[in-house]
Amino acid sequence: MATRDIHVQPRLARVFSYRPQRSALLPSIGIAVGLLAAGLGVFHRAPPERNRVPPGYVALVNQKGILLSDLMSQSMTELGKPFSEVTPEERARVLREMIDEELLVQRAVVLDLPETTTEVREAMTGGVNAQVAAPLLAEQPTDEQLRAYYDAHRSKYTADGSMSVRDLVLHIGGYENADQSMAQANIDATEAVYQLRAGTAIDYVMEHFGLADSGRTKNGNEPDFAAKLHLGDTLYAAASKMAEGEVSDPVSDTDGLHVLIMERRRPPSTADFASARAAVYADYREDIGKAAQRENVRILRSQAQIILAPGESE
Amino acid sequence: MVGALALIGGALFAADLAAQRDRLGQRLLSARPDQVAADRQLVAFAISQARPLYSQHCASCHGVGMQGNPAVGAPNLADSTWLYGMGTVYDIERTVLYGIRSGRSKAHAIADMPAFGLTGRLSDGEIRSVVQYILQLSGNRYDAPAADAGRAVFYGKANCSDCHGMDARGDTGYGAPDLTSNVWNSGGDPQSLYRAIYSGQHRVMPAWIGTLSLEEIRALSVYIYSASHPTPPPPAPTYRQ
Repeated sequence: MATRDIHVQPRLARVFSYRPQRSALLPSIGIAVGLLAAGLGVFHRAPPERNRVPPGYVALVNQKGILLSDLMSQSMTELGKPFSEVTPEERARVLREMIDEELLVQRAVVLDLPETTTEVREAMTGGVNAQVAAPLLAEQPTDEQLRAYYDAHRSKYTADGSMSVRDLVLHIGGYENADQSMAQANIDATEAVYQLRAGTAIDYVMEHFGLADSGRTKNGNEPDFAAKLHLGDTLYAAASKMAEGEVSDPVSDTDGLHVLIMERRRPPSTADFASARAAVYADYREDIGKAAQRENVRILRSQAQIILAPGESE
Repeated sequence: MVGALALIGGALFAADLAAQRDRLGQRLLSARPDQVAADRQLVAFAISQARPLYSQHCASCHGVGMQGNPAVGAPNLADSTWLYGMGTVYDIERTVLYGIRSGRSKAHAIADMPAFGLTGRLSDGEIRSVVQYILQLSGNRYDAPAADAGRAVFYGKANCSDCHGMDARGDTGYGAPDLTSNVWNSGGDPQSLYRAIYSGQHRVMPAWIGTLSLEEIRALSVYIYSASHPTPPPPAPTYRQ
């Protein structure tokens, strides 16, 4: 034990012994470290005061800033004169209006209008879509691109035709001959068609062969889409191929055999590329915008967590 | 001991510089945009702050020397011709904040140069004649009979004067360039002019609000302003008031 004490004591004594150079060095290091820490603090900007308007803004509305630039722009737009000529009263009035608007916008957020109001949602989605599409719309298409688009979307540039068609029907079994069979009805209808094509008066043919007006085309001249709706797919398919003045072959439908007489016909027409250019250009650019929007939604979806309730699908 | 004191001195100096920079940054933003240009110290500070920002965010379109790039229709920022506004710090800042056709409603986006050829509104011959008239307006060599015909199209069928003005000097409210100045964003040779009329123009500049801080945007605006409004060299930026 005695031997150990002999070895330890001199070491401790060396550490705690008075050495003048150490007394200056250690405090200096301490001061330097402290000042460095303080200096680093100075490098970082102090957080903005919550009750003071930061530079560049003219007001804080519930911590939301109104830009000086926006006030200047709004003043000049509203008052129609340079900002240097805007009086303090006018400036104050415009600012008051902007603050009121900001309050209403903030209230809208509190009321969750984006969730509950269709118009707000549409404005928000429209705003995002416009921003996404903006860079792509900077590129103007070439003639070749427009031509290719036209070729791929010809139906867009096809104007609907119109027709005035008379639709006569032979209800099978409804003729004088109660035993009229399908075969007999076909023969009668074919004969009626022959007579009509030969120029026999319609009223006479109707009476003679027992044909009746189907009642499907009471509206006279109508666009193709309306005629299709009224005639039904089967009769419209036949009618759409007929020229003006033509009498159709008998057409079988659910209620009997029909004979169509095309009184007036304006067939659908596809505008050629030259005359459709303006519409093609507008549609092309609209499609570019929509493609950008679809891509944006795809990216948003890839980053979103979307959980569907059991049984739901999309 | 000497090393420690040097360290302390260096830290204090750096802290002082940072504080000075913060104060200047706040002054730069607090001033009305058009007052900044008169303060040489603020201009010098803004330039020193904006140079790296310009290189990083603007130079790819407008060129390292702000000379513009006709290939992308990016205008020269160092001349005295402006598409939007009169080239004041406020005007420039407005454009940097919200951009051009950026999809934001505060952006410049009132009008587009229509694609007269692509949409079939003008024939090839009509476009060529309008090109000759524009060459005449801008003081270049032109074909007189064609320019006469072009003049009729300019004021008639194409209604170019609606945006470019009856005197063809443009309208900075619409971003319609002055056709008499012989300053061109997309080239002033006949081929470039033909292309601009045939395919139209729909140039876009992004909105920088939200990406850059207000102070950075102000600094960039002052930097761009100073490039087009050369003044005697300002004092060296010491950041001291």
